[in-house]
Amino acid sequence: MSGYESADILPTGISTALRRHRVRRSLRRPSRVFTDTTDFTAIDYGDIILVDGRYFLVTGYTREGRFGVDEQIKPWVPRVEDLASGEKRILKLVFHETFDITLGSFTIPCYRNPEKEARILELVRDHPHFMQGEAVLDEAGNLVRILEIIGGSRLDKYIHRSNLPHREYFFRELPAILRQFLDCVAAIDFLHRHGFRHGDIRRDHILVERGSGLFRWIDFDYDFYMPERPFALDIYELGNLLMYLTARGNYHPREILNDPNLGEETLQRLEPGDYALLSRNRVVNLQKLFPYIPTELNNIFLHFSTATTVFYDTAAEFLDDLAGAVDRLDSMVG
Amino acid sequence: MHDWKNMLLAVDDTPTSRKAVQYTADIVANLQGVRICLLHIYPEPPPDYYRQGRTLDQYRQENDARAERIFREATGLLAGRGVPAEAIRTRSRLAEQQTISQTIMAVQAEEKAGTVVVGKRGVSKAEEFLFGSISSALIHQSRDFTVWVVG
Repeated sequence: MSGYESADILPTGISTALRRHRVRRSLRRPSRVFTDTTDFTAIDYGDIILVDGRYFLVTGYTREGRFGVDEQIKPWVPRVEDLASGEKRILKLVFHETFDITLGSFTIPCYRNPEKEARILELVRDHPHFMQGEAVLDEAGNLVRILEIIGGSRLDKYIHRSNLPHREYFFRELPAILRQFLDCVAAIDFLHRHGFRHGDIRRDHILVERGSGLFRWIDFDYDFYMPERPFALDIYELGNLLMYLTARGNYHPREILNDPNLGEETLQRLEPGDYALLSRNRVVNLQKLFPYIPTELNNIFLHFSTATTVFYDTAAEFLDDLAGAVDRLDSMVG
Repeated sequence: MHDWKNMLLAVDDTPTSRKAVQYTADIVANLQGVRICLLHIYPEPPPDYYRQGRTLDQYRQENDARAERIFREATGLLAGRGVPAEAIRTRSRLAEQQTISQTIMAVQAEEKAGTVVVGKRGVSKAEEFLFGSISSALIHQSRDFTVWVVG
């Protein structure tokens, strides 16, 4: 089964657009037209994916890396251009990957779930805090997601753009960032109320849209199997993200010792209950590092500490506490 | 408050569940008017279950068969301690778009059970945060019924 046809099948207008496209200039072989994306590794730069009557020319690939690891090409997520309209899109092809993630001493089975992402795309149509797109079937019945591209920067890069000292960042920039983040948490609560998990909440899975400044969630195809606490991992990652935004980084003993404003004395003041429940050497009692963090905000972090006796059961509870903390922060700024 | 002698005993194939059955039997064996519904709840299949060409019907059949084995053992334990056979019923159910603890509470409401008995796994704090604790959930959310957590 080849899954492709020669470019001779292209209608005249599409064929002309392909011939004139910059991608063709660097290509020494004829483009192929794929109507079946099952073997996505066979599809290459300069090929065309024909779905939903639309001809998408592959112009590149997206990349993704876990933090500290080199970014790797994702061959199942090509960047494409609609040869009829000239619109740029990202396609997500079906890739049924199964893997385990490790949290502390626990292993959680994870899955890529294209059906779930397709259903979420449908649910969040026109929602300002989610990426937009649609899902269509290719000729072999694979669920191809056609995604709009969000122009902007990753949230983790966005918060480092000014390079202000932490105290100034905290009072000048963080209140506005947390207002936006509050909307993102409300968006996750919306998903949960409809029975869906985001599945891969990370600091680079919120994009800050250029122009509008909106924070928008991307990438919903991860899923995990936690039948009794189906939303716990999303809530845990929301907590991590909030702490990262507040401290403008993660703080382990190493970072504390390397920070001239903190150092050994601060590290010695920390107690076992100041560390994270699931990542034992990460500090969550950030008020001990940055005393100007209001207690309302710090109390949210402490829900994720080894000393906690109360967990967030829902994103709505997290959202309520965060709304109160953001109000408090606003009142401190004046 | 529902009649405490109308009991729902949540069972699975773990040693703690067996302990809960034995404990319940020891308490109620010689009491008049006790009715025990043995309940086995199983979670929805993992997301990749259907990709392996299997169906929800197959999943239900596999789990109902497992439940039958669990019920046989639990019924034997109860009968061995003097609980009359006519006082014991069984129910097996898939936790459909619900957690296991939510499903137990849904069955409790249907059965108007006054007592719910579960075994205690003894999970760590981190484990409880990630994977949950059925006994904690029942204790926190119980209304109009008593929860026995057998450790």
